[in-house]
Amino acid sequence: MSSIDSPAIVLDAVSKSYGEVRAADEVSISIGRGEFFGLLGPNGAGKTTLIEMIEGLRLPDTGTIHVLGMAPAPRNLDLLPRIGVQTQRSAFFTRLTAREHLVTVAALYGLPPATAEKALDLVGLTDSGNVRVTKISGGQRQRLAIASTLVHDPEVVFLDEPTAALDPEARRDLGQMLRNLKAIGKTIVYTTHHLDEAQTLCDRVAILSAGRVLALDSPRELIARSGIGTRLVIPAGRLSPEQAGTLDGVNGVAVEDGMLVLQTAHTARVLAALDGEADLDDVETRPATLEDVYLELIGAPQA
Amino acid sequence: MSAYAALSRAVYKAAVRDATTVFFTFAFPLIFLVIFALIFRNQEVADTGRGYVDYIAPGVLSWGLANAALFGVAFTLMQWRNDDLLRIIRLSPTSIWSVIGSRYVVALGIGAAQCVLFVGVAMLPVFGMRPDQTWPLAIPIMLLAVTAFLALGLIVGSAANTPEAVAAIANCVVVPMAFLSGSFYPLELMPTWLQEVSRVLPMRYVNDGITYAFTGFGTMTDYLISCAALVVFTAVFAVVGVRTFRWSNDS
Repeated sequence: MSSIDSPAIVLDAVSKSYGEVRAADEVSISIGRGEFFGLLGPNGAGKTTLIEMIEGLRLPDTGTIHVLGMAPAPRNLDLLPRIGVQTQRSAFFTRLTAREHLVTVAALYGLPPATAEKALDLVGLTDSGNVRVTKISGGQRQRLAIASTLVHDPEVVFLDEPTAALDPEARRDLGQMLRNLKAIGKTIVYTTHHLDEAQTLCDRVAILSAGRVLALDSPRELIARSGIGTRLVIPAGRLSPEQAGTLDGVNGVAVEDGMLVLQTAHTARVLAALDGEADLDDVETRPATLEDVYLELIGAPQA
Repeated sequence: MSAYAALSRAVYKAAVRDATTVFFTFAFPLIFLVIFALIFRNQEVADTGRGYVDYIAPGVLSWGLANAALFGVAFTLMQWRNDDLLRIIRLSPTSIWSVIGSRYVVALGIGAAQCVLFVGVAMLPVFGMRPDQTWPLAIPIMLLAVTAFLALGLIVGSAANTPEAVAAIANCVVVPMAFLSGSFYPLELMPTWLQEVSRVLPMRYVNDGITYAFTGFGTMTDYLISCAALVVFTAVFAVVGVRTFRWSNDS
């Protein structure tokens, strides 16, 4: 069951209710070893509940969960050293420095202070090691939180909105760090509201709403299957919406902010047809994104 | 380094790096001690041949010990729960007993330091406290006092979710208890019914025990009753503490 080929995480028909609220509704997901897996969904979709059940902090009402072939709950001392969890709140020991904090966390796993040094280095915080946890910047806080998660070299890493509240530069740096983690073979389960980031980082994503999995696949597959296609944005006045509607390959026409927007699954054909009718300068092609897919799934009026 | 040692160190550093903690643990009770000792300087308690300081110092020490043990553990518990540190610990292989044990050993250390400091100051020539031969009996009482108020602190730390709430609840518990237990004012001077009320308060037994150790006031039987009472209080508080314990604020 714990061979290297077996999945890292298996959820089988997991359900959990809080009173009338279905936080998880027959959720079945299998996450492979070394996979970068994104859990997406609006606040209250059940992401946190799902992650906490996988971590063993909560028990499902029905269904089974296996992490590295083991049941995470009740508190499983064989499993805990093999998983790493970053919580939404940055959990740092009061009034310690970054280094002291990591040394303490390492000791929780029975590991020597040298492991803390390695973790500091891994997230690029060696120079800030002697700064109090309350004094370090937002981006560094996130790095320190991730270092705390990695200090015991876990196989499966859970990151809850690691890039929330970061400025663009810090977000980019952290994104690179997450890629590095994947490169060294960690299985990563993470939640985020940044869909562009999820699209580039994740091997697969699950889109959750009201405790149900609405979609589960690679971002590329989800986009292709959604049929949203590419949008061609043409500056105003080049051609009329009526003309545009007759072009080969155009599925839909709309006027947005004075720009003509063509919807298509065949960009090349439309561009070829358009070339005879209007100037192609400044015509923008916008491929569908994971965000489009997400909004179509989530934004649909909740019947 | 063991988890227990590392957590002890973390707790210790958090305590000594906080000026407020240091002030309320050491300076604040000391100020009370000095004020009372100066007010009643050179006065003797009738028929005993002892100075007032011999009674006030054990009283202030009892209050200081109880206060520091209760506040310290309540703050730590509230803070660690709020900051998700309890969750981090729960998701590591460390047992909850290492967490409680580390807080306990730090509380004992702080209690010992308080004893040495307060008694040392009271013994300065200007105050003139003269501890009795039986002073080593203060050590078991000190251990039991810290244990009982640490257990009480677990309850307060679980009940309160903010630093303000910890301070409010802990003060409501400790300050009236200190007055009713005779820490600042001899019990003998209070109405009889108030003296009876003090029997349900753990601090009374801390006070009685420490006073006996330092002044020989009372009997050995009273002293042993005080020890036994503190064991019972600890057991009751610990049971309630375990029942009210929460790993996080949202479950």
